[in-house]
Amino acid sequence: MTAPALLRESAHPPVGSRGPRLATGIALWVWFGVALVFLFAPIATAVVYSFNKGVGGKQTSAFTGFSWDWYTQAFSDSTIRQATGTSLIVAFWAAIIAVLIGTVLGFELARNPNRAVRRVLAALTYILLIVPDTVLGVSLLLFYTETRIPLSTFTLIAALTPPSISVVAFVIRARVLTLDRGVEDAAADLGASRLTTLRLVVLPQLGPAIGAAALIAYTFAFDNVVIANFLSTPTVNVLTVYLYGTLQYGPTPAVYATATIIFAATIVVLACAALLLRTTMRLRGSRRLLGTEAASADRGAVA
Amino acid sequence: MRRNTGDHVLAAIPLAWLAVLFLVPLGFTLVYSFGTSGFGSVTLGFSFANYAQALGPLYLETFLRTLAFAVGSSIACLVFAYPIAYAIARRSGRFKVVAFALMLVPYLASLLIRVMSWQILLAQGGPLERMLRSIGLLHSPLTILDSLPAVVVGTIAVYLPIAVIALAVVLDRIPQEVIEASRDLGASDSATFWTVILPLSRPGIATAALLTAVPMLGELVIPVLLGGNKGLFLAQAISAQYVQSQNYALGSAMVVLLVLAIAVIVALLVRLTRGFEATDDAPRRRARAKRVEG
Repeated sequence: MTAPALLRESAHPPVGSRGPRLATGIALWVWFGVALVFLFAPIATAVVYSFNKGVGGKQTSAFTGFSWDWYTQAFSDSTIRQATGTSLIVAFWAAIIAVLIGTVLGFELARNPNRAVRRVLAALTYILLIVPDTVLGVSLLLFYTETRIPLSTFTLIAALTPPSISVVAFVIRARVLTLDRGVEDAAADLGASRLTTLRLVVLPQLGPAIGAAALIAYTFAFDNVVIANFLSTPTVNVLTVYLYGTLQYGPTPAVYATATIIFAATIVVLACAALLLRTTMRLRGSRRLLGTEAASADRGAVA
Repeated sequence: MRRNTGDHVLAAIPLAWLAVLFLVPLGFTLVYSFGTSGFGSVTLGFSFANYAQALGPLYLETFLRTLAFAVGSSIACLVFAYPIAYAIARRSGRFKVVAFALMLVPYLASLLIRVMSWQILLAQGGPLERMLRSIGLLHSPLTILDSLPAVVVGTIAVYLPIAVIALAVVLDRIPQEVIEASRDLGASDSATFWTVILPLSRPGIATAALLTAVPMLGELVIPVLLGGNKGLFLAQAISAQYVQSQNYALGSAMVVLLVLAIAVIVALLVRLTRGFEATDDAPRRRARAKRVEG
């Protein structure tokens, strides 16, 4: 190191030289605060306006008075109850399938011995993460229609799995990459097939990660609007599609009450997922791995 | 590495499932886009009529507007997100975890709850209008709802968290030593940013652009709820062909054009990261490959 550099180093207090300057720092945090307002204002508004009296049973842009009625109405409305029931069942099975297949996919993304296979699988997983739901939804609608498969609860469940599978795969892959590869190699040397290795060696170490992935997959399937919109029928109607339809033609505050309840439930589910992830993943280590290996924003694994 | 039975069975399971539910339906869409449509039925063939119509005067504007909307909103989103990601990445410990969580909560919350409230916030007589009036910035009714600006605002709000996360993950990896070295060599803060930090965060910019621009191209819910459902964008036109007009062939051609637009954007953004794979990632990749094969 040259003398001027040393001088410069000593001229700066260590704290000052580490982060950006004070003014920059303050500007950054003001910016961050603005972003938080921008992100949370809509959610806060939905909560507040779920208590709005409204006019003539419709939601209004001005707050006209406080009322609990919309919550009782949301719970007693038979359409909302039925749609919620369907949503819970559909999301449950979609999450189960997504976890079964996504776990295998995540394991293969990390450990398939063939580089070409890993690349194909990774490309597919990334594409599923970014492809618009509109493309998935209408393609499946066309596919089901033309192969004469009648739309049912099962076709809806199946249609909701691809995006969830990709999320599960990324969470599982991030976890598998933190595991000691030597143990798996030992199992292979002792004659275990890869299937056996996955079942007996890897899976037992994945427990909490699978749980977290399942919860994230569940919220993804439950919250999906677009795919469900194309593939729901009058008899198979999920909650988001019902809310989406109502929102286009003057919603009642009961819709906001329902959305608030969903939001609260989502937070609880995600908090459970975060706790599960924390039990096995030391946050720092997993994020570093994520950064170098994936160079992308895996949705759940950062949590 | 020893090859066992089951090597390919495992990879085949997800491949088969996703082939049936994603690749095959996409193939159907491609085939049907060349067909001729009656109401709710399609005669297969090899005709470019649907593409001519999809790129004809009626829909070309929609297609171009969608492209401009996705690219513009994505750029706006990234510009908004970058300082946030930078602020998060430069911190450490508990604070960083909380900041990450604050971005993840809205990202994972239901899309509807994040979009529906803009109907209230941006409406005439709504909270935003009253606030702007009270501080004297606005003297006429707010007429932003049911128009393109409302869609852009809602879209940026929806995609901001994922852009922040994608950028922060990469900014987090830039070693502090590199930044200190830049300062030690006499670079000002802004010079350090433009010549060191920004170029090093290129993969994050590409990932963030990918995760925002591509889904925005097919965005359906936000324009419907905030744009007054006036058929502003391609996804609405596609949806109308499938649901109302039952013109599957034309709808399929539009989907294929949408997928092509996505492919172009992906190809462009992958190029943006290429320099990185060739230089700093290469040794690590080789090492990893050796470990895997060996």
